[in-house]
Amino acid sequence: MFGSSLSKRSFTQLAVALSAAAVFLPAQAQQGPIKIGLSTAVQLQVGRDTQEAAKIAIDEINAKGGVMGRKLSFVVADETENPEVGINAIKKLTADEKVDVIVGGYTSGVTLAQLPHISSAKTIYLGVGAASPAITAKVKQDYDNYKYVFRVGPINAVHQARGLVDWISGHLIGELGLKRIAIIGENAKWVQDLVPVLRKGAVDVGADVKMVEFFDTSTSDFSPLLSKIKNSDAQFLVVVLSHASSDVFAKQWYDARFPIPYGGIDVKSQDGDFFDRVGGKSLSEVAVNFAVRAPLTPKTVPFFDEFKKRTGRVPVYTAFGTYDAVHAYAQAAERAKSFDTNAVVGELEKTSMAGIAGWLEFDETHDVKAGGKYMNLLFAQWQAKGDRVVLWPKSLRSGSMIMPPWLAK
Amino acid sequence: MLEILIFGAVTSAIYAMLAVGFTLIFGVARILNLAHGSFYALGAYGAYVLTTIFKVPLLLAAPLVVLGVALFGMVVERVLIRPMRKSQLAVLMISLAVSLVVEQALFLIFGSEYRNVPSFIDQKYVIGGVDVAGQRLLTLLVAVVSIGGLYLFIQRTRLGSAILAISQDPEAAQYMGIPSDRIFGVVMAMSAGLAALAGIMAGPFLSVQPSMHLLPIVKAFAIVVVGGLGSIPGSIVAALMLGYAETLVAYGISTSWTEIVSVAATLLMLVLRPAGFFGKRAAF
Amino acid sequence: MQLKHIDRGGALVAIAVMAGLPLVFDSRYLMGVLTVAAIYGIWSVSWDFMSGLTGRENFGHSLFIGVGAYAAGFLNTAWGVNAWWSLPAGMLAAVVFALIMGIPTLRLKGPYFALAMLSGAVIMQRLMLIFWEYTGGEEGINGIEPLIRSPLHFYWFVLGMLVLTVVLLGGLARSHWGLILKAIRGDEATCQAAGLNVTYYKIASLVISAAFAGMGGALYAHYQLQVSPQLFAVVTSITIITMVYVGGMSTIYGPIGGALLLTLMTELLRNFGEWRLMVYSVALILILFFLPQGLVAPTWQKIRHRLAGGQP
Repeated sequence: MFGSSLSKRSFTQLAVALSAAAVFLPAQAQQGPIKIGLSTAVQLQVGRDTQEAAKIAIDEINAKGGVMGRKLSFVVADETENPEVGINAIKKLTADEKVDVIVGGYTSGVTLAQLPHISSAKTIYLGVGAASPAITAKVKQDYDNYKYVFRVGPINAVHQARGLVDWISGHLIGELGLKRIAIIGENAKWVQDLVPVLRKGAVDVGADVKMVEFFDTSTSDFSPLLSKIKNSDAQFLVVVLSHASSDVFAKQWYDARFPIPYGGIDVKSQDGDFFDRVGGKSLSEVAVNFAVRAPLTPKTVPFFDEFKKRTGRVPVYTAFGTYDAVHAYAQAAERAKSFDTNAVVGELEKTSMAGIAGWLEFDETHDVKAGGKYMNLLFAQWQAKGDRVVLWPKSLRSGSMIMPPWLAK
Repeated sequence: MLEILIFGAVTSAIYAMLAVGFTLIFGVARILNLAHGSFYALGAYGAYVLTTIFKVPLLLAAPLVVLGVALFGMVVERVLIRPMRKSQLAVLMISLAVSLVVEQALFLIFGSEYRNVPSFIDQKYVIGGVDVAGQRLLTLLVAVVSIGGLYLFIQRTRLGSAILAISQDPEAAQYMGIPSDRIFGVVMAMSAGLAALAGIMAGPFLSVQPSMHLLPIVKAFAIVVVGGLGSIPGSIVAALMLGYAETLVAYGISTSWTEIVSVAATLLMLVLRPAGFFGKRAAF
Repeated sequence: MQLKHIDRGGALVAIAVMAGLPLVFDSRYLMGVLTVAAIYGIWSVSWDFMSGLTGRENFGHSLFIGVGAYAAGFLNTAWGVNAWWSLPAGMLAAVVFALIMGIPTLRLKGPYFALAMLSGAVIMQRLMLIFWEYTGGEEGINGIEPLIRSPLHFYWFVLGMLVLTVVLLGGLARSHWGLILKAIRGDEATCQAAGLNVTYYKIASLVISAAFAGMGGALYAHYQLQVSPQLFAVVTSITIITMVYVGGMSTIYGPIGGALLLTLMTELLRNFGEWRLMVYSVALILILFFLPQGLVAPTWQKIRHRLAGGQP
């Protein structure tokens, strides 16, 4: 029996070896299209929208002849929300696919884990989803090794904290007279960076911060926490959520007809289908959005419309960053008249263009500028039938605020 | 205080439903089924699929899903577990592998985002000043009824006596002509169905995502070890103990510590008194 | 089974091929894949030494791996210690945990020992998350320095450590140690009655197994340049057990083949990245049913049988 199967086995081994070899041979380089590597959480909305936005930007640029005659193309690697997988994604994009630039990001912890590998691969990285200031801090600490890293979006956690304070001061306290607040956040890196700034800022504008608490990202039962919040005598619950807990929290808050309205930064709540996903239970939640379909810049409305036309849905924040990142890269390369990494880095630093959510410029740590004509936080509320109504800033207000139905008596 | 009493009861109820099925299949067939958590997950996902995608009303979907998962349990037992019965370790490995396959299948089909299972009751009740979601109270009720029903079934029916006989003395039962193999299948089906029911009831207010099978199996195992493998009353008592211990920890310290409670309890029990409180067979 | 020239020859060829592959293909990506495969090889071999020989399957091997990795992480970042101390530190940390977990649980029967060890790993994973202010929580510790800057040299170093692991553990397995451990697998009570200090041998083998796993964990930390609680996950333990099953339980060298095969296979499937764990799980089921002796070791046995002209 083993005579024939030995040769069969040898043949199989040879076949395996040959195909393995073919798989590992270095990819074709030089005068082909420019490869953009998208490293994102493919399974989630942020990942899907990153890809769609990249397609839109790439199609626009290619329609005009590409960049210096070369077309743009992209490949995708799934970084999930796990640092290990994220590192492998970077390795796949840099060592295997040999991309010219990487665009993407979502979880700050993953990006931070990826940074040393991005640096050693000397590839430009344009972040579109992670908010921790620690990511761009490296640019200042070790410019030579980390100059490749830029954040195109969102505005970092500290800026976001200031945006929240602005809303608390102007809207919650100023217009609604709600001074007593409770703050809860996931124990993710960017939240840890954000909450201390938020707390201090809130106190400075006259809020009475009744409690501040972090909870595990994978918490599935919020009853103990909700109970604590109720006992804290707060009038409004400010949340800082980015991962899966958003769905569960909304449902449990609604099911218990919790007597305190909530709002704040809730990344999952930006998903166009969030309201339906939780069976309408996020009704009256006020959540941050980084852009809405309003003329924030000349590009905003056309982008929303094109996105809606292609996908039938409203984009989440990573889409804005991705679209801007691809255009910024293309324009930087044009100005540098080369694709050489160092030259493009130099030109990227000088970026000054209209983005989707605001004017796009980088500060000296390659971090996107915030405030004023640059990017800002917008606050939108889920209302009946899943409509999102912008409440803040006042200049963009599109409706009036509602209270949770069981409180609106 | 009242909050802890109520929420602890709901938690214990879900755990009891999981633990009873787990201990049943062990008591009868000596199978440590690590795929038990998958039945729970499939129950929740089944309810999601039928109600959201096929638009079947929940009252009809629930029994369909329970039956479906029960059948699945029977198939798994017949095809994958029965051939491996000689070695408990092999059964452990293969049931673990099955749970991973199910998890990956759910991940590939549904993605990692949380899914929404609709509730039977969408109202809130106020008990002594405590806001409780209707669905949680219903879960408590369903748990009591289903476990009670199972217990009665085992005590009062012929099939139940056969099950008891096999769990007490497998050889003697076989001499008496009781078809052990077929009964294993039935017991597995009941065990799986109960777990699926737990998933359908708890899905609306707990998280429904592909790896949701892990924690329930850890807790079910913890309860069964503490209560004593093979003892249904033991499992119920241990479920209450564990459910309340977790709730106390959650309210007193924080929810992050709750998982450690069960796992630490398991570890301690195994080390100190492997037979558990009411167990018939020791772990060594 | 004595080590013949043919085994030594085969081993040398294998080592030469493994060391030479990255040079032949000049692919940084391949080097990365092989480095990870080699580390998994260390983990698998260490698991096989204890669980393969004694038959006491340890479902919590990831505990030792994670502890070794985190030790490296803390030493290197929080306490700024030179990276080379990570290896002994990782081994020491793993040994400590092996004693803590092993002494109370080794008297338990098969499945219960397996699950007790699993509980240990789960608790550790949870603790890493609970004390997130110190451990970095979900996102772990990053900014770990590489042990050796050149990826190629680091790969050769890891390969060297793998060879060392196999030589040491294989040597022990072929000595009276191995005989005793296998005897314990066969019938523990008889061994005890014959006057053997069974407890000592069981604990010692767990400790040795843990030490190498911890060392592998430290190497991994200096390769990924970060550690996260995922290292403690059940999936890690199961992956390693699958690799050992594929390679051939209790052979010590078989698991290396299993590690290589499974790592390469998942790379070939990398375009279907989400399918990786599914493939592992299905592979495990198939192996359990059809190839309980594994794939790699029996294959080698046949090859050497042929090469030796039919001599056993």
